Amino acid sequence: MSFNFNATGDFSHLVSLPTPAIPAATSSVSPSFDTHGTTVIAVKYKDGVLNVADRRATAGMAIMYDRSEKILPLDDHTLVSISGSFAKAVEIARFLRHSFKYYSRSQLQPMSLEGKLSEMTKALVQNLPMALQGVGTFVPVLSAWDVQNDEGRIYAFDPMGARFESTDFSAAGSGSAPIRGSFDYITRTKGPFAEMDLQTALRECLVLLDIAADLDAATGGYAKILPSAKAVTREGILNLDEAQLQAVLDQMRDGLAPQTVNVKAERVEADAV
Amino acid sequence: MYSPYDFNQSIAHRAEYVEERLKAGMPVIGISFDQGVLLFTIKRTQRKVFEIYDQMMYSAIGNQADVEAVRLASIDFAHQEGFSRSPDDVSIQRLVGFAISPPLKRAFGDPMTTPNVLRALFAEIGGTPEKDQFFVLNYDGEFSNHVKFAVAGGSDAVEDAMRESLAAHDDVPDLQTALSRAREAVRAGLRGRQGDEEEEEEGGEESGDALEKALEKGEIEAAILERNTPRESKFRLLSASEIN
Repeated sequence: MSFNFNATGDFSHLVSLPTPAIPAATSSVSPSFDTHGTTVIAVKYKDGVLNVADRRATAGMAIMYDRSEKILPLDDHTLVSISGSFAKAVEIARFLRHSFKYYSRSQLQPMSLEGKLSEMTKALVQNLPMALQGVGTFVPVLSAWDVQNDEGRIYAFDPMGARFESTDFSAAGSGSAPIRGSFDYITRTKGPFAEMDLQTALRECLVLLDIAADLDAATGGYAKILPSAKAVTREGILNLDEAQLQAVLDQMRDGLAPQTVNVKAERVEADAV
Repeated sequence: MYSPYDFNQSIAHRAEYVEERLKAGMPVIGISFDQGVLLFTIKRTQRKVFEIYDQMMYSAIGNQADVEAVRLASIDFAHQEGFSRSPDDVSIQRLVGFAISPPLKRAFGDPMTTPNVLRALFAEIGGTPEKDQFFVLNYDGEFSNHVKFAVAGGSDAVEDAMRESLAAHDDVPDLQTALSRAREAVRAGLRGRQGDEEEEEEGGEESGDALEKALEKGEIEAAILERNTPRESKFRLLSASEIN
């Protein structure tokens, strides 16, 4: 055999993420060491799964960055929203994007949804030794359009890689705990998210994010910088730009019904440069 | 005793073995056009034009296992480099020159292995048509780079005929024109091959349009790298309606 190649399409056989040997913690790691993303929300709406996230990144008590992007497209049918350690989460997202592309190019077929979920679990398991030392813990929420069953799916993970499929909604990050009950309140009083159109779902998510920002110091609201919002649908990834979000916020402030503003989401290429 | 004579003989035999097997290969043509780069060929049952990386594609004639081995090794190198460093650091020159050519040469020179039967055409898209690049890689590790167009065929006669056909044009074509030039070049190449065969068979009959004849047993496969797409992946297989 003159050529060595990786016939399985497993990208992790080809590259390895940097995994520094971390000494056992003798004293606790300074919290300002590890930049964290805060609140991300995913809800199933009529045409897919909507993700909304604040844009704050914190390190300990300091606000490191107010324009971080926590909703990352992995491919045309997969979105990952990240909370927790920024360094690890962004690196893992980059790894997964490459890994999915590598698989489909080398194997000449796209990776299945189950395959993508296992890749995410593997990445979390690989990160476990570091998480146990108190740095680099991250918690992703994966939203996907399930091409086989033609429906949106939401999966939450814990730091050990366990996968939890949510029927209607999920949230992660420091601001997610205070708003957990609010999802149920909305569902019981206004009906399930799955029956809402994009603008109604978006409005509810913005309200939830605002409550999270009120109750969690690490979550940025939308007073200064608008959150980010993307959806994954049958047609691919939709992006809601700042003008669309502003229109919805204005309408909320003016006490108008959600139907009065028609939100226009623009389809974007998942791997746009 | 292994003498220099044996070495020469061995290499010559291997080359002869490979050339003989390449002869029947349906040629591949690469043309740079205004909105991208085109790879054009005729396939029988299996795909022949493949994406290697965001801005790179590949097609080859030869033994399927060897074509696949080079394809996978190229994808491995490109993705490893693209992830560890950056997609901007993955170039066709590094890929062909450093990652693929040396092992191919080693394998060719090793008398204990079956030689790779392969002639490959790699294409990379640049910002403008002048920056598009083609690399033609031979089974013995030799490679050459080209701009505007490049060909990979089963014999010198076929390649010469195709090059002559393509060199008749000096402008940068659009996709439709590039497709018709590619057809014309394949037709010329296949005529060149018939010429080869006729010489051997001592004057066979003129057998109509060489391209039409080839299309009875196969179909055109064409893919492009698009210059002005917002996507990182520039590769796209053309549909039957776009080709015809």
